Amino acid sequence: MVSSFCWSCLTRLRSTPRALLPPSVTAPRAAASFHTSSARYALPTKKKNSLDGPPKYREAKSARMKKKKPTDRPRPPPVGERRTLRKRIVLSNPNALEVEGMQDISAETMVDSRLRGSILGLPIPMIAQLRAVQAFKPTQGWSIFRRPGTVVRRETLELGRLIDRISSDGEDKGKAVKKIVTGARGTGKTVHLLQAMAMAFTKKWVVVTVPEPQDLVIANTGYASLSDENPHVYVQNEVTAALLSRTVSANEEVLKKLHVSQPHPDLKSSIKPGMTLEALAKLGIQDPAAAWSVFGALWTELTATSPASGFEKNFNSRPPMLVAVDGLAHWMRNSAYKSAEFEPVHAHDLVFVNHFLSLLKPGSKQSTLPNGGILLYATSASNSPTEYGFEVALKQVAARQAGVKESSPEFPQADPYLRADQRVIDAFNSPKSSVAKEGSVELQTLGGLTREEARGFLEYFARSGLLQENINDEWVGEKWSLAGGGVIGELERLGRRLRTVA
Amino acid sequence: MASPTPNCMRHAMLSFRQSTSSSLRSTLLRRSSHLSSPILLRSTRGYATTADPDPVPAASEIDFEQFTVQPARVIPASPAYFSGSPKFIDHLLNLESICARYASLPTVAPGDAPRMAWFKLAQFRDFVGESVPTKKYKNLVKILHRLNRIDQAMVPMEVRDTLKTFLRPGNPYGLKPAPATVDDMGRARGRGKRKTSSAVVHLVEGEGDVLINGKTLVDAFPRLHDRESATWPLRCTSRLDKYNVWANVRGGGVTGQAEAVTLALARALLVHEPALKPLLRKAGAITVDARRVERKKPGHVKARKMPAWVKR
Repeated sequence: MVSSFCWSCLTRLRSTPRALLPPSVTAPRAAASFHTSSARYALPTKKKNSLDGPPKYREAKSARMKKKKPTDRPRPPPVGERRTLRKRIVLSNPNALEVEGMQDISAETMVDSRLRGSILGLPIPMIAQLRAVQAFKPTQGWSIFRRPGTVVRRETLELGRLIDRISSDGEDKGKAVKKIVTGARGTGKTVHLLQAMAMAFTKKWVVVTVPEPQDLVIANTGYASLSDENPHVYVQNEVTAALLSRTVSANEEVLKKLHVSQPHPDLKSSIKPGMTLEALAKLGIQDPAAAWSVFGALWTELTATSPASGFEKNFNSRPPMLVAVDGLAHWMRNSAYKSAEFEPVHAHDLVFVNHFLSLLKPGSKQSTLPNGGILLYATSASNSPTEYGFEVALKQVAARQAGVKESSPEFPQADPYLRADQRVIDAFNSPKSSVAKEGSVELQTLGGLTREEARGFLEYFARSGLLQENINDEWVGEKWSLAGGGVIGELERLGRRLRTVA
Repeated sequence: MASPTPNCMRHAMLSFRQSTSSSLRSTLLRRSSHLSSPILLRSTRGYATTADPDPVPAASEIDFEQFTVQPARVIPASPAYFSGSPKFIDHLLNLESICARYASLPTVAPGDAPRMAWFKLAQFRDFVGESVPTKKYKNLVKILHRLNRIDQAMVPMEVRDTLKTFLRPGNPYGLKPAPATVDDMGRARGRGKRKTSSAVVHLVEGEGDVLINGKTLVDAFPRLHDRESATWPLRCTSRLDKYNVWANVRGGGVTGQAEAVTLALARALLVHEPALKPLLRKAGAITVDARRVERKKPGHVKARKMPAWVKR
């Protein structure tokens, strides 16, 4: 007889083993309330089992780490490639429109005041020369236009006239002008140097540039004492060789026509009579150990006014020179080099730096640039170490230029508590030269463009197809104000923000 | 009505007293006429020491002129006594009746009506001594506005007096600061704040030079957006090349300083050209952004952020 009581049903009833079991230590506190039914009838928690399947005996129980497969990471680019990408200078954009009627810098256009506010292109053959002297910087936005060009502003015209006067036969022929170019960030100091170089190339001058003074003082190149006689003066051979190389490749045409005219006792063995200056400079490029003495010889040759006895054969008069240095402040402090006593080497103890700074001083018997020329030393506002002595020195230069006497109380003096570097102040303390053709150091401060110049500049953007706006005086005035009073770097940034009219 | 306010009670008592004093005589009459009721008789018996042997004198003639129905209970002064806010409703009904009476009078546009400082809600509640709901008061103010729109030339005296009772004391709209003027050097001064920055702008007619804390616009605000927002009041009115700006800004960050200059510049520009106000208002240049950093609260990580939930 089958019992009506079904055992299977009974077994399905949930037994109450939980109540019989001793209360677990880890039981949640919340369950210990007055009512227990919810806890009793709750579904039994599933046993957590991280390792599925039956227990594994005879196997290692410790956690096993999966071996990481070596992922195929892209190899870093070869050494120097990133740097070349960063320093790459693109001077042309084939997508930009060709601007019609754009003139080039030439002997006529550089003095034409009617062209003020317009854009003058750089002649195509000159671009290689300008590249050689590293006149272009990667951040200047040359790559958005069809071909490189620069604005003719008031300072440009003044510079053009000055270069024209120094080159041509006249009162100012052979004059030496020394200028320090300062100004706020983006006011076009470097481009001013570029314009000077371009004009100098058109006038067949010799152009010597130091595009990155910082590279000389950050201890990235080798250095050595100049000689045993003066162990605290240091020479940097690779940098000097690079300078020679820049100078030769940019001024090849001029240097080929000039011949050695002075005796050079240091280089007696390698110099042959009748050698061109180009060949002379190449000696230093081939043998960096002799680079500094070769540079010295080249400088003597370029500043020679007449041949020495015995060298009269095919002597050509030397052309004027343009010496351009960009970012002067790096030379006004201790360099990263160390002396033998592990003391920091002051930048003025580097013979390269010292040579270029000594050009600011008036020459002893003759002008520092006896054949005429311009020293154009620019400061940088974006990459410049703060150097109190340099600031004071520039103020003193401005005061001297304004005719303030050094004994007068208005003459700016360094605060004795701020430890101004006396060497720096002395380096710019150049008294009036005894030579009439040699000017003293001037300070030129670049500011913003005028509204008319700004309008010409922005019209150039529009004609290149970068701006799709109606360029009227009101719009230009607005951009002029937004650019902090026509700061050209800011104007360029405003102009290149392409807005398409929908 | 659960509990009448003391004010209501006072009114009720007052009306009771008035009614009693006016009809004292009739009350006495009624009392004597009711002497025959057994309860009264018993009470008279209990307290009277001497029974009046005289026959009851005849009642005097009823004067129907003076006769009023004496209510059996106290009658409140206002019919709206049991509504809870009787004074308010009285005012409302009064205004509605006036409004209906003078509905035919000509009105002017709302903008042309004289500006009146009606009671604020809290003041009106104090005035009537009742807790008037906001919405009901708004409806009352609507009627006030309607009455105020009646042409000033023919406003009845009654309306004028009634409206006067709803005015705030003093002359709130008369106390206006003197409008700022350009000083003898041609400078207009404006002040503005945003976040924690505060700016003072001196604006002179010129050709578009901007100096902020003695620096050029580019040096003060390297970001183009900040430069644009700082000069926005001049730009949206296309006067960027007609004024020179000389600003001093203190406190806060770059964005706050730029927007503080915006506000200060707009206010200074209004001194030169007050007619630009609607344009500047539309451009959002004179609207004050009063938001400040919300304070941090205890138990929170920041102003609102709570710590992450942690089991146990």
